[in-house]
Amino acid sequence: MSIKRLLFGLTVFAVVLLIGGAVVMAQQQDISIVHYYSSALGQETMTALFDTFEAAHPEYKIVDNSAGHEDFKTQILVTIAGNNPPDIFSYWAGARTQFVVDADRLLPLTDFWDENSLDDIIPAGVKPAAVYNGEIYNIPMNVHIVGFFYNPKVMEAAGITEMPTTWDGFIAMCDTLKAAGVNPIALGSLNRWPAQFWFDYMVSYTAGADYRQALMAGEAAYNDPEVATAMETWKQLTDAGYFVPDANAYDWTDAADQVANGDAAMTLMGTFITGYWDGNGLVAGEDYDFFPFPVINPDLPVVTHGTVDGWAVPASAANPDGAKALLLHMLTPESQATWALGQGALAAVNNVDTSIYSPVMKKAADYLAQVQFLSGYDLSTTPPMAEGGLNMFAQFMNDPSGYMAYLDEAQAVADDVFGS
Amino acid sequence: MTRTTYRWAALFLALPLAVYIAFVVFPLLSSFYYSLTDWNGFDVNYNFVGLANFEKMFSDRLFSNAIGNTLIWTVAAIIVPTGGGLALALVLHERGIFANIYKSMFYLPIALALAVIGQIWLWIYQPNWGLINATLRNIGLENLAQAWLAKPQFALLAVILAWSWQQTALSMVIFLAGLTAIPQELIEAAHIDGANYFQRVRRVIVPLLAPASVVVIALAVINSLKSFDVLYVMTRGGPFHSSDNLAMFMYNESFQKYNMGYGSAIAVVLFLITLAVIAVYFRQSAQVERLYD
Repeated sequence: MSIKRLLFGLTVFAVVLLIGGAVVMAQQQDISIVHYYSSALGQETMTALFDTFEAAHPEYKIVDNSAGHEDFKTQILVTIAGNNPPDIFSYWAGARTQFVVDADRLLPLTDFWDENSLDDIIPAGVKPAAVYNGEIYNIPMNVHIVGFFYNPKVMEAAGITEMPTTWDGFIAMCDTLKAAGVNPIALGSLNRWPAQFWFDYMVSYTAGADYRQALMAGEAAYNDPEVATAMETWKQLTDAGYFVPDANAYDWTDAADQVANGDAAMTLMGTFITGYWDGNGLVAGEDYDFFPFPVINPDLPVVTHGTVDGWAVPASAANPDGAKALLLHMLTPESQATWALGQGALAAVNNVDTSIYSPVMKKAADYLAQVQFLSGYDLSTTPPMAEGGLNMFAQFMNDPSGYMAYLDEAQAVADDVFGS
Repeated sequence: MTRTTYRWAALFLALPLAVYIAFVVFPLLSSFYYSLTDWNGFDVNYNFVGLANFEKMFSDRLFSNAIGNTLIWTVAAIIVPTGGGLALALVLHERGIFANIYKSMFYLPIALALAVIGQIWLWIYQPNWGLINATLRNIGLENLAQAWLAKPQFALLAVILAWSWQQTALSMVIFLAGLTAIPQELIEAAHIDGANYFQRVRRVIVPLLAPASVVVIALAVINSLKSFDVLYVMTRGGPFHSSDNLAMFMYNESFQKYNMGYGSAIAVVLFLITLAVIAVYFRQSAQVERLYD
């Protein structure tokens, strides 16, 4: 065969492929999606949900461009700002969503919410995470709450059988653990955010949830006596040597490993830690268990801090109908159960049978049902403020004694962000 | 050249020039423009704020911190890779087969991306089982073992050391090339005149290495100014900004705090500093060339 003939043949072949491809494309609509569930477990479960969606909706094809968790934060904003957004993307409810809403980059989903009577299935405690400036912009996918995850074998070896519900009881337990030669608390604040949960509970339980909300909104000051008291309470724990040294050197998974290995007794973390442990072959209820953050001041309301992960649709999405079809699929009890189990999360809807949960996740679900839900620090305040606050927590874990100076610095950031 | 060849030349140059304008000149000019705005990098609306972003730098403690760290990095870049590269080159120059094996070994880090180098050094610095702490514990110096990257007083130096590992290899290669260019007779003549090894190095070899030294130092300084990847992998400027350099500070302001206008202003400052260094480099290398012509 001559070269010319070969080239001619190849060209014909290419044209056939192009036309064939175009025909298939015309039958199927793409739904492009970007999400941050890129770890092995998250991606596997998400792909399973995509598969059931495509099986039920042959007219749609999911194009998954998932990104690594930390890279996602920058990447999604760049694609939206560049007017090249996906049709739907996973997003943290709270200040991050508010930021995109305020820039007029998201599609309001209030009609979608009403048409599908989502009030019936999404609990009233979770709904505030969906609402921004009076409209729905973020459809919840799952809830994580933050509490103590501990190693029951370590507790048992130190003679602790009852988990504390009061602050005195918590201090006594830490002393018992320390006397038994165990590090009571693991914390991996390398990426800073794991330390924020301590700040969240310290402020909410010494100054109250209302004060905390005011602080997050820039209506209270970081160098107020209320915040100083919260930091002082936190400092009493570091001064007593309850934390594993050098928290800033470790990631949260390192802290999880320290608890799993028995090098530490417990860690304050979101329920997503169960997904990490389950993936490593730990058994819920045997190898790890859960208790809520003990109340410090019993006169203040009981809260839980946590995260609502949801979905947002960009204002300039090419296929909003496809995105909405996918959203409905994500909210079915079957999808929610699959997701909750695969991801180690609590379902965002109330029609999932709680008996599917592990004994540990059931405890968390029952607790969530009783108390007020508040987003964690970096989802409660604006991103530039969160950057300054997270910085402060890392400073505190390095040297707690200087907390007043850190609070002044944080307030300087707040003055800049909220306007003094 | 004839008219036709000019046309062809223009045609062939047009494409790379278009790419250069689209991907270098245009972004450069737009960051100049954005440095005069309060754009958050995202909103369709933003305001023109004049030189406010540049004024803010003077009172911003984080900016002076980043400038200071960049300066430390630049000074370290002049000393560590240059000294280390020169020492290695002198030891390994013309020493036969074993030296070639060592040369390849010392050269290897250049084949790695800086992100990979960052990851390797993360393991070396790991507080529990990392090479440094494990070694310290094994030789009975466990008191010196540290969480190197978690301590503000060590984090920056630890990252610079990791970065220098690769930069030293690059310097060594340039110095080795420079050494082969030195006429052997000059060194032999000095030898016969009674100069010992250190005198020969100081009085003959180092002065003759001037052209190579200019390249080594300029590359080290420019690379230090643009270093971001190794820092991003190892500390992200942390703990609490203690290892921020200008590039990391710019990234944080632009993409973490959404101050794209301020971030662009920092980028402009970084650009001007780099431009000054490059100007000095061109002047020096022109002088050196004239000297040896």
